[in-house]
Amino acid sequence: MNIVWTVVTAIALIALTVVDPQKVLTVCLDSCSQAVTTALGLCGIYCLWLGIFEVADRCGIVEKLSECLHGLNKFLYGNAARAAEKYISLNFASNLLGVGNAATPSAIAAIRETERTDRLSRTGAMLFVVNATSVQLIPTTVIGLRASLGSVAPSDILLPNLIATAITSVVGVALVFCAYGAAK
Amino acid sequence: MSYAVPILLIATLVAGLVKRVNVYDGFVLGARKSFDLSLTIFPYLAAIFIMVNALHASGLDVYVTRLLAPPFRLLGIPAEVVQLVLLRPFSGSGSLAILTDVYNRYGVDSYVGRCASVIMGSSETVFYVASVYFAGTKVRHTGWAIPIALFCNLLGAVAACLLCRVM
Repeated sequence: MNIVWTVVTAIALIALTVVDPQKVLTVCLDSCSQAVTTALGLCGIYCLWLGIFEVADRCGIVEKLSECLHGLNKFLYGNAARAAEKYISLNFASNLLGVGNAATPSAIAAIRETERTDRLSRTGAMLFVVNATSVQLIPTTVIGLRASLGSVAPSDILLPNLIATAITSVVGVALVFCAYGAAK
Repeated sequence: MSYAVPILLIATLVAGLVKRVNVYDGFVLGARKSFDLSLTIFPYLAAIFIMVNALHASGLDVYVTRLLAPPFRLLGIPAEVVQLVLLRPFSGSGSLAILTDVYNRYGVDSYVGRCASVIMGSSETVFYVASVYFAGTKVRHTGWAIPIALFCNLLGAVAACLLCRVM
């Protein structure tokens, strides 16, 4: 990440200086303000979901969910710590329900449980790939945008979308198995 | 589907009442963590946004898109959506803007428009997600995770263009 970011940013800034030196500072400052507004927006979203998660946890709902998904989790992640498995189950449920916003805080919480060293573990890699491939079963944003722009059949992309995500998820999980071996 | 979230929220609250849990305290305690979380990820967001916006403002992204259009065509990805495929791993809002542009230019229900829709729906902002997920951990070496996710994004784009041709 260090090398990729530094090299790409340096090249982009050099190109921008050649094109229009006046814009360099404004672009950088605008990006930083954009980061502040995005982080605040995310803060609101996380606030709701982390609050709801805590309530669900106290009711024992998360425990039940994690028992239901134990077989699948064992296959994908191996014997993860109990706390991590709870967050992984929450993350899976959020993805399945199409609540992408709720998936992020639970994934972050799970990653904080599983990662102790500076090298990403197999569990962390699997969680990342699962989230990066099987995001939404129903792409609500895309369908909404299509409808607002006057599409005749805004949701006729559902089936190809479902097949495409299924392909990427299966291949992604298979590649993690190839790269890291089966779960222990 | 529009009922999923309301039912989820109400069911959690009702379950709390039935189990005689202090729902109010629980919610407040959980919600408090959100500020810390967004504080940890915010500098990573700034770094990503500077890179993406500088690329866009300098016009380099258009140049790279033109350069990579021929190899993408070999994979069955039309030139009109190459920019979307390239930007998607970096920026969610940026790729949404390009998607809207594709819709306006070529039509929502055209082949290109449908391709772009499925590409958008079946891929993820890999670099953005990576910076958010690994923020606040010691992880510096992500190994195979990012290459695998990127490959899957590309595979999703190829599958999207193929599926839209037959469906």
